[in-house]
Formats: sequence, structure tokens, C-alpha cells
Amino acid sequence: MEAINRLIYKLVDWVKHLGGVALVGMMTITTLDVTTRYFGHPIFGAVELVSFMATILLACAMPMTHVENGHVGVDLVVRLLSERSQALIDSFTGLLSLTLFSLICWQSVLYAQSMKKTGEVSMSLEFPSYIFVYVVAVAFGVLGLATIPRLTRNLRITFGKK
Amino acid sequence: MNPTLVGVIGIVVLILVFFTRMPVAYVMTMVGYVGFSYLVSGAAGLKLLSRDFYEVYSSYGLTIIPMFVFMGQLAFNAGISRRLYDSAYHFVGSYRGGLATATVCACTAFGAVSGSSPATAATMATVGLPEMKRYKYAPELSSGSVASGGGLGMLMPPSVVLIVYGILTEQSIGALFVAGIIPAIFITICFAVAISIYCRIYPLQGPAGDKFSWGEKFRSLSKIGETLVVFLLVMGGLFTGIFTPTEAGGVGSAAVLLVALLRKQLSWKGFVKSINETLRTSCMVLLLIAGATVFGHFLAISRIPFNVASWVAELNMPAFAIVLMIMLVYLIGGCFIDALALIMLTIPIFYPIIINLGYDPIWFGIIIVLVTQMGVITPPVGINVYVVAGIAKDIRLETIFKGVLPFLIALIFGTIILIAVPQITLWLPRLMY
Repeated sequence: MEAINRLIYKLVDWVKHLGGVALVGMMTITTLDVTTRYFGHPIFGAVELVSFMATILLACAMPMTHVENGHVGVDLVVRLLSERSQALIDSFTGLLSLTLFSLICWQSVLYAQSMKKTGEVSMSLEFPSYIFVYVVAVAFGVLGLATIPRLTRNLRITFGKK
Repeated sequence: MNPTLVGVIGIVVLILVFFTRMPVAYVMTMVGYVGFSYLVSGAAGLKLLSRDFYEVYSSYGLTIIPMFVFMGQLAFNAGISRRLYDSAYHFVGSYRGGLATATVCACTAFGAVSGSSPATAATMATVGLPEMKRYKYAPELSSGSVASGGGLGMLMPPSVVLIVYGILTEQSIGALFVAGIIPAIFITICFAVAISIYCRIYPLQGPAGDKFSWGEKFRSLSKIGETLVVFLLVMGGLFTGIFTPTEAGGVGSAAVLLVALLRKQLSWKGFVKSINETLRTSCMVLLLIAGATVFGHFLAISRIPFNVASWVAELNMPAFAIVLMIMLVYLIGGCFIDALALIMLTIPIFYPIIINLGYDPIWFGIIIVLVTQMGVITPPVGINVYVVAGIAKDIRLETIFKGVLPFLIALIFGTIILIAVPQITLWLPRLMY
């Protein structure tokens, strides 16, 4: 199990780096576009490029944000409970999360396939949009995997011997 | 089952599941999906999930968030906050409680480059708390000023909360930014007055510090010149229409990065840290928006927003009383849920009411930020207090909550004035837009 967890964390880390590159890319393209526009030669399709990169950034940041507990939650009540009860609740919500992410991953794949079939492209660059829906799908897949290490740990605490 | 009843059940389930500490964004997505599927169809619910997430993630309007968060993170890791603090200290440090005032002023100034309240509180806790300890300030006043001052980051533009409000209500983000400036300065003054009164009653809380000559005071200003230049560049470009909000954030980030590199203030480690923090914060905010979008679609189908609006219209209550009731919801809600999540959840319901009553949407945005700012420092959730407690391990949580009290009173006083006299908030945006 440890080896699988290590592999999952490596995957999360790898995806995170891709998100970081997209962030720096967004800043660079925006600044270059503003500067070149001042001289009368804006970057063609800059708005689309920035939106594409934002999609990559946000999708790729999801697994790391989950792993690092970056989301807001209300732990007023749960933290008052015993360790085992906490683990039981976290196992339950972890299973719900895993189901939800699997559903979104699967639906995004179907969405991308239908987009590919209809040949939908972006307005100025005419770049096929379905590729980015696939990126979102893959990111949700990795996010689903990223829930597994904590889920198994919580299940072990819940059902393990005292 | 009646759609409105399903909507009400959905809201109750949502609140119950919140208390399992499952991330708010996941809960909104899940309940929204289940509710929508129940009211429309299973297939439509599944489609809604993939469509809503892709729409939010690929929206150009929302790219402003990572850009402004990145700017704030770069500014933090380049040590801009420390220099702001130093300069404020040169001016007000010699007065009783002066360091606490300096902290609040530095928070406002740092809020001008950072968009988030906990980030501002965290920044100032790292910078201000050790200094105040050195000058023998009591932990109540020092930690209270940091936690409360952090809220000013949410009001002073650029503000992530105002950006999200602007996107949800289709209001001009530029106008909202301009509208935030005077209230932010006004609340800073209220805080300074509160500190001064508090230190008059309890002189040991904040003893007077070193005195500086006017020459030294003005020399200290030269160290913060770049913050002013970046602020003027970003806001100026935005208000004159030279760039879009996203471009303002992008250019601002690049400008902070350039200044930090030229002054050799940003290490590679600091740069990577800025990227990671930006990814995390942006993802947190955007996933909340995506979750709120899914949940919002469910609410719309349940017709709750329309029914609540017409119900309020039939109440025949004075408009002011309705606004106060809404404020009360935000105040109580803000004690339990994160400010941003609360705003996203409630805007679809309250916004139409406020507009029907004839209130200005820009003014309402600022007032909501003020009220949720109270939420970030009130128990039991008070996120800023937890942030400060997490950094200052030697200060107890109760001490910080006690220290926050004078600031809370000042904030309530300031908010009442801003509610009663909307012109204070609206004067500047009306002048410029």
C-alpha cells in the first residue's frame, strides 16, 4: 500500500508542476500582450491562451490542494469527537468525495468525446477545446486517486483493532 | 414533491453535511448535483457536473483570481510587508499603542497588493508580532491588532471577495475596487482611534516606542516606493481602461517580480513558494465558485431565490430593517463558515432582494465585506484568529479573541456609519464611473 501511496503522491506532485508552469505562462502572456498592444502589435488570441492556461492551472492544482488540506471546511463539531469517530466520519465523506470525483471524471471524458465529434474549436485560434476538457477529466482522475491514501488510513483507524 | 420544498431540504442537508468537515466546495457540488438530478433527471444532473466545472475553469473572467493572488504572494515572499511595517512604525511608533496602529496601517497598505484577509493576517503576524513583543506590548493588543487588521486586506483593493462578488452579480470589478478604498481608510482610522482609547484605559497594553526625526520618517518612505508604484500601475491601468482586471493582475505580478528581482529580494525558494501558495489559494477559491455554480443551478430550479424575494416583498417591512436582517444572517453565518463560501452561497438569494429594495449593488458589496470581516474575527470560527494563533504558538486562542474585542466594537461602529451614509462608499466610484 505504501508503494501505491508514494506513486499517487508523485503523480500529484507532477501534475502540480504542470499547474505552476501554466501560472507563470499566464503572467508572461498577459504582460507581453499588454506591452505589445501598446506598440500596436498585440498577441493574437492572448485571451484564449490565458483561459486555456487557467484551465490547466486550476485542474492541476486540485489534487495538491486536496492532499495539503487547502480547502475550507467546518471542523467545529468533528474535532470534539474521539479519534475513531473522526476517522469514521472522514471515511464516509472520503468515500463520497471519491464517488463524486469519479463521476465528474467520467462525465468530462464523455463531454470531451462529444466536443471532439462536433469539432468545437476556440474562436480566434481555432484550437480544439476538447483537449482541455480531457485535461479536466484527467485532473479529476488524479484527484480521485489523491483521496485514496487518506481514505485507507481512516478506514484502518475505524475498523482496526484498538 | 414541490420543488421549493426540495430546495429547502437541500439547504438543510447542505448545512448538516458542512459539519462533517467535508470541504465546503465538495459539499455544495454534491448536494447541488443530487438535488438537480432529483428535480430534473439523473442524466441532466451528470451533464451539469462536467459542464459547470469546465465552464468555471475555462472562464476568462475568473482568470483574474490566480493573477491577483500571485501578485500578493510574490509581494509577501519578497518582504514588502516588512518594509511597509517599518515605515508605518517610523510615523506612529512613538505614540502609546503606536505599534498596533502601525500594524493596522501596514495591513491596509499590504491589502493594496494582496487580495486575501487570512493572507494579510498571516503576513502581519510574522512581521508585526515579534516587533510588538520586543517593545513589551501585551499579547492581547498585539495579536488582536494583527487578526483584525488582516480583515482590511479583504476591503482594500484588490480584494478576492470583491472580485467574486463582482463576478456573481455582474458588477464592474473596477467600480467595486474604487468603492473599497475610502471605507478601508475609514475603518483603519476607526481602528487607530480604538487602539488609542484602549491604551489610554490600559497603558501597559501598548507602551510608547522610539521617536524618529522627520528626516528619518521620510527616508523610511523611500523603501516602500515600489508598493505605491505597483498599486498605482495596477489600479491606474484598470480605471483608465488600459487593461482588463486579469491584465492588471498579470502586469502587477510581473511588476512585483521585476522589482523583487532587481532588488535581489526574492530567492528561488521564495518564488516556488509563491507559485505553490497561488495554486492552492486559487484552486480553493475556484472550486468554491464551481461548487456554488452547481448548487446555484439546483437553487434556481427549486425557485427558492424567487420565492424568497417575493416573500420579502410581501412582508411590508421598512427596507432598512430588511437590510439589517440580511446583515444579521451574514454576521451569524460568518461565525461558522468562511466569508467567501458564505457570500457565494447567499448572493443568489439575497442579491435580488437588495436590488428590489432599490439599494446600490456596489454599496451592498462593500457592506457585505465589512460584515463578513466581523465574522473572520468572531468566535467560534474566526479564521484570522486561528491563523494568528497558528503562527504565534505562545499566545492562547482566548487571549486573541479578547484582544480582538476593541477592534470589533470599532468595526461595528464604522459599519453602522457606512450603512447609514452610503455616500461615503459611493462618492468615489460615482466620480470615476
